[in-house]
Amino acid sequence: MTAHRAISGAGIGLAVCLLALLPLAGLPAFYDSFLYIVFYWISLATSWAILSGFGGYFSFGHAAFFGAGMYTTATLSVKFGVPFLVTLPAAAAVAASLAVGVGAIVFRLKRLRGELFALLTLAVSFILATIILNTPIDGGAGILTSSVPLPHIMPSPSQTIYLLGMLMCVGTLALAYIVAHSRLGLGLYAIHDDEDVAEVKGVPTFRYKLAAFAISAAIAGAVGGVHATYVGFLTVSETFGITVPLYVVLMSVLGGARHWLGPAVGAALIAASLYTFTSGDQAMIGRGLVALVLIVAILILPDGIVPSFLRWRARWTAQRATAPLPPVEAPQPAATPSGGDRPANAQDSGIDRPVALAIRDARKSFGGLQALRGVTLDIHEGEILGLVGPNGSGKTTLINVITGHFPLSSGEIRLGGAPIQALPAHEIARRGVARTYQIPRPFMHLSVLDNVAMAAAFGSADHGRAASIEEARRWLDFTGLRAKESALPAELNLHERKFLELARALSAEPQLLLLDEVLSGLNPTEIDHAIALIRQIRDRGTTIVFVEHLMRAVVELSDRIAVLNEGTLFALGEPGSVMRDPRVVSVYLGKAHAA
Amino acid sequence: MTRTAQPWRRRHVLAGLAGALSAGFAATSRAAPSGKPVRVGSTLSLTGPLAPTAIIHKISGEIAVEMINKRNGFLGRPVEWLLLDDQSKPEVARSLYEKLITVDKVDLITGPYATAPILAAMGVAQRYQKFYVQNSMGIPKHLTYEMAFPATPFGSEPDKTFPKVLLDAMASTATPPKSIAILTSKFPSAQFMALGTREVAKERGLNVALYLEYEFGTRDFGAMAARVKDANADFLWVGSLGLDSNLLLEALKKLDYAPKRHFHLYPAPGPLALSPDGDLALSSTFLEPAPPFLDRPDVPELAKEYKERATKANVPYTELDAQGAGMYSQWQILEQAVNGAKSLDDKAIAQWLKKNGATTIYGKLRFDGPFNHGDPAQLVKQVQNKKWVVVWPTAFAPPGVKLIAP
Repeated sequence: MTAHRAISGAGIGLAVCLLALLPLAGLPAFYDSFLYIVFYWISLATSWAILSGFGGYFSFGHAAFFGAGMYTTATLSVKFGVPFLVTLPAAAAVAASLAVGVGAIVFRLKRLRGELFALLTLAVSFILATIILNTPIDGGAGILTSSVPLPHIMPSPSQTIYLLGMLMCVGTLALAYIVAHSRLGLGLYAIHDDEDVAEVKGVPTFRYKLAAFAISAAIAGAVGGVHATYVGFLTVSETFGITVPLYVVLMSVLGGARHWLGPAVGAALIAASLYTFTSGDQAMIGRGLVALVLIVAILILPDGIVPSFLRWRARWTAQRATAPLPPVEAPQPAATPSGGDRPANAQDSGIDRPVALAIRDARKSFGGLQALRGVTLDIHEGEILGLVGPNGSGKTTLINVITGHFPLSSGEIRLGGAPIQALPAHEIARRGVARTYQIPRPFMHLSVLDNVAMAAAFGSADHGRAASIEEARRWLDFTGLRAKESALPAELNLHERKFLELARALSAEPQLLLLDEVLSGLNPTEIDHAIALIRQIRDRGTTIVFVEHLMRAVVELSDRIAVLNEGTLFALGEPGSVMRDPRVVSVYLGKAHAA
Repeated sequence: MTRTAQPWRRRHVLAGLAGALSAGFAATSRAAPSGKPVRVGSTLSLTGPLAPTAIIHKISGEIAVEMINKRNGFLGRPVEWLLLDDQSKPEVARSLYEKLITVDKVDLITGPYATAPILAAMGVAQRYQKFYVQNSMGIPKHLTYEMAFPATPFGSEPDKTFPKVLLDAMASTATPPKSIAILTSKFPSAQFMALGTREVAKERGLNVALYLEYEFGTRDFGAMAARVKDANADFLWVGSLGLDSNLLLEALKKLDYAPKRHFHLYPAPGPLALSPDGDLALSSTFLEPAPPFLDRPDVPELAKEYKERATKANVPYTELDAQGAGMYSQWQILEQAVNGAKSLDDKAIAQWLKKNGATTIYGKLRFDGPFNHGDPAQLVKQVQNKKWVVVWPTAFAPPGVKLIAP
């Protein structure tokens, strides 16, 4: 594997060197120019995809960062005589600063996701264009950059621009590859699919989005800096027009915005198509034909060329396998010390052990609705606490405030003695709190393996990329999903999705596991399987809060039961006594059932 | 890829027939061009936002090439125009010029349409030391390449010279304006002229009651119309492009305000002339298909042929205007410079042109001033009876036509 990587690395290095020396091969200079344009679009489209493709924050404002870079280079080199190469880092820095400034505000606001973010970035572009147009930066007259002296890196200026464009492109692709295969990339993919879940699973979403935005903008800015000298004359209307945002979106979507190489493939194809029909007599028909081909390609391959190709290759490889994989049985959980019975005494249940989670007077309001009205509850290390109550009693809200998904209105929550109620959700996750969702919320574009691996990577154990894959496989074995590790969540049935939720939560190696109706919708056999698994988890020392409506499971599994009603702790105690409490029967189970 | 002007092939046949028949075919009295074609490459924005104007250039250029080939071509050889589509993108224009020079290996190049593509292509021409003539660059000071030539007589400082022409026209009226309101797009060439007009107006003692800039692409002129109405200047100068003028006049009409006199820099000629609000609107031109210009060689044929082809191509305004005329002038300059220099060598062509100038449908042009520009020849035209007519200087107005100044 290492030798293979070394050979691949040497091959790539050689290819880059050859590409760098291409202008010296004696080809007509047009090819320098043509290839520069291809590199230019690859860099721009790939940079766009780092935030918008990986992270799902669709931006229509890429022209703002590209334009900021163009005008930085133009202003510094033309008006202040700064050497051209020095202006490029400045162009990147200005664009990145702009992105950080914008991101620091908009990424804090949940309502600015999706189309609102797209529109906001477009507005940023317009605002920046207006500022540049109405200040001496441009003032409307444009900036002539054709006379900016270029460094003599290559024999001719066009060859120098080619080389800069190529280096920019190679650097961008390398950066995209690194990001895609790093924790940042994994976090961005999770953000793309479900940002709230990503945060709860330990992804520092704000920081990651900001980092992706800054990287994306910095590349666009540097590319803009080089391009300023290529076009020779800058005007606000052309720089901040719709061409750049429209083309980068189109290129990324065509190639596959979620794959590091996808935008490059899309960009290369579309940039090449710009030169396919340039003859004066074919111009209109040619443009129409290219547009038609693009529409058809996007309709046929909605996920983009690269992901579609990779899926096709995976299917083809699977079909060529000589023997089918043996059916994998879900592993039968080992017998637990407590067997099928609930713990016999308080010593077994662990309530004499230290408090793992202390909730004090927890209150949560949504406008006029008080979902939690002062809940005080201790959860002890190693116990299984059954949390029950009628619909709307505050069970899921309590889980949400423990995990930091919702901030508390007032009160205090301590994990291992330390207050956590003011911490962001990802920090709480890092401290060892994991949860499942009543309705499974897997990351729909990540494979089963990656779903679990990302939770392992961002959980309390702080696994690296390789270790997190190993850890994920361990938990997929545990939950019986190993055979489906390459599947997407959409290919799983409800039972499997519930177990995926479980595997994902477990891979974070939590101290405290919050299971929100993990058994709902399962058939009796599946429920037995799940109960056995939960016992095994507890046996590993994990504290479990178990929200469930299925009374058989609650009684069977719980050391204690807490009953919530209308946002208050209504009853708490050993399962038998709580379930016999007439008030609980009346409020929760109903008199007819009790009778 | 290659677009060949077809008639030269027919000319071989016609030439043969002419020899066998009589000398009655005046058009064939000269030797038809023959031999290897001289290939001239250029781009136009045939697709993209600049396409509506570029089609005018294309029609006019095709006519020009056909007429050149009806004469003697270049150096007795037929001319072939290799026209590519730059898609209204300066970066594409630049790379296509490199393609024309290094791959297609054209003999000569001419410029594209619009400031940004012209400047992008000029850099390529400079690197390869190619003779470069263009016709629509409104900011002469940017033409810093020593072999770049204008085909339209803006003069080297149109921001100073044309405002004088225009204000001379205004001063000639019975009630010369005492105040001026200037409203301009922030499009570089329009803003350039607006700033110059403001300075000249001040020099002439006019009160600049309003100076306002708006962004290129603006469609809502309501707020600006209110400012114009409030200023209520004697003369409204609009640095407009395309339909800006129509939109502004409509916005003014909604405010029950009609400007006393109004000038529009680069309007869409048809829509403004035909609009009820455009009556007596003023604009700039270099030539109109009317006397006395119809007395100039080539103009009647060009105007007639242009109208036919523009109608066929569904061009909204089918009369020959400054855009079409500029393109024709560009080819005339190239023809005279090549044949005058008796060479396809770019430097020889440039030297000959700089020394001798050229006579085009714009008259005698010189190129010995700053940025290779000669004397300005910008005129003032006005909408009268829904047609554009030259009104100033009076020597260029058709018989019986006068500037109407309410």
